[in-house]
Amino acid sequence: MSDALLVERARRGDAAAFESLVRQHYRAAYSVALAVLGNGMDAEDACQDAFIKALERLDEVRKPERFVAWLMQIVRNRARNLRNYRRVRNAKPLETVAAAGPSNPGADAERSELRGRLETALGDLSEIQREVVLLHDLHGWKHGEIAGALDISNGMSRQHLYNARKLLRERLGVSTLEEYSND
Amino acid sequence: MIDDRIDFSSLDPTEDRERFDDIVHSITEAAAGQLAARRARADVFAQLTSWWRPLLAAAVITGIVSIGALARSQTATTPAETEIGLAEAIGVPEQIADWVWSEEAPSAAELLVVLEEEG
Repeated sequence: MSDALLVERARRGDAAAFESLVRQHYRAAYSVALAVLGNGMDAEDACQDAFIKALERLDEVRKPERFVAWLMQIVRNRARNLRNYRRVRNAKPLETVAAAGPSNPGADAERSELRGRLETALGDLSEIQREVVLLHDLHGWKHGEIAGALDISNGMSRQHLYNARKLLRERLGVSTLEEYSND
Repeated sequence: MIDDRIDFSSLDPTEDRERFDDIVHSITEAAAGQLAARRARADVFAQLTSWWRPLLAAAVITGIVSIGALARSQTATTPAETEIGLAEAIGVPEQIADWVWSEEAPSAAELLVVLEEEG
């Protein structure tokens, strides 16, 4: 079902349509939030906040077929607000903890360590580089989709991806990436 | 073309299906109130929409019938009947109304007699 139809139904209070929008776009939203905030837990908070905010403001969507680009703006704003709040309050330092409860302590510890290293390495990129590399390599979008959602050109998307990957490889080391990609 | 994408699967929030379902559930649960309010608004709007056409049709029919009745009542009465009816309605004695419409000036005695009869 298209985004336009799902948005129309969600506007009328259709819970299943709203859930479909969440399921379809959560990973993209998470990628953008993670790019801004730098850790998974905060990114999850920002995503939940953003989806609720998006529902509240759903009547403002003028082009429902471009819902995802509109949603990404909300996610980015909510993530930046949360980041500023964290900075001001300094109540919760950025941490690289595992998001899930441990079901297999050994594997989870390894996964948690990798997550931490990836998040640290991502911290050395610019926000736009993080957004592009996560949307491309984590979420699986193509440059056209990234360009549309982030309001940049295809060429810039390619450039950011190239630079981001190069920096990440330098930070993480080829062996680390190979080790994990063989999992 | 060599796919040199970086493996971010350890950061993928949808990788663990059970956990992802929990995340989605927590979002839809937080949105439940807002969705219910939207459903209620949509129901009211649907009700109004379903009643709008019959109400409009009834109003048009009432308007047509009223205009017709008014036109018939106006053509059925003569000007004199209208004038006397108006004088009666505002409490002016019939004889005085006749003098007003005929532009005939009554004598003081005639006026006195009429007022005494009314009083």
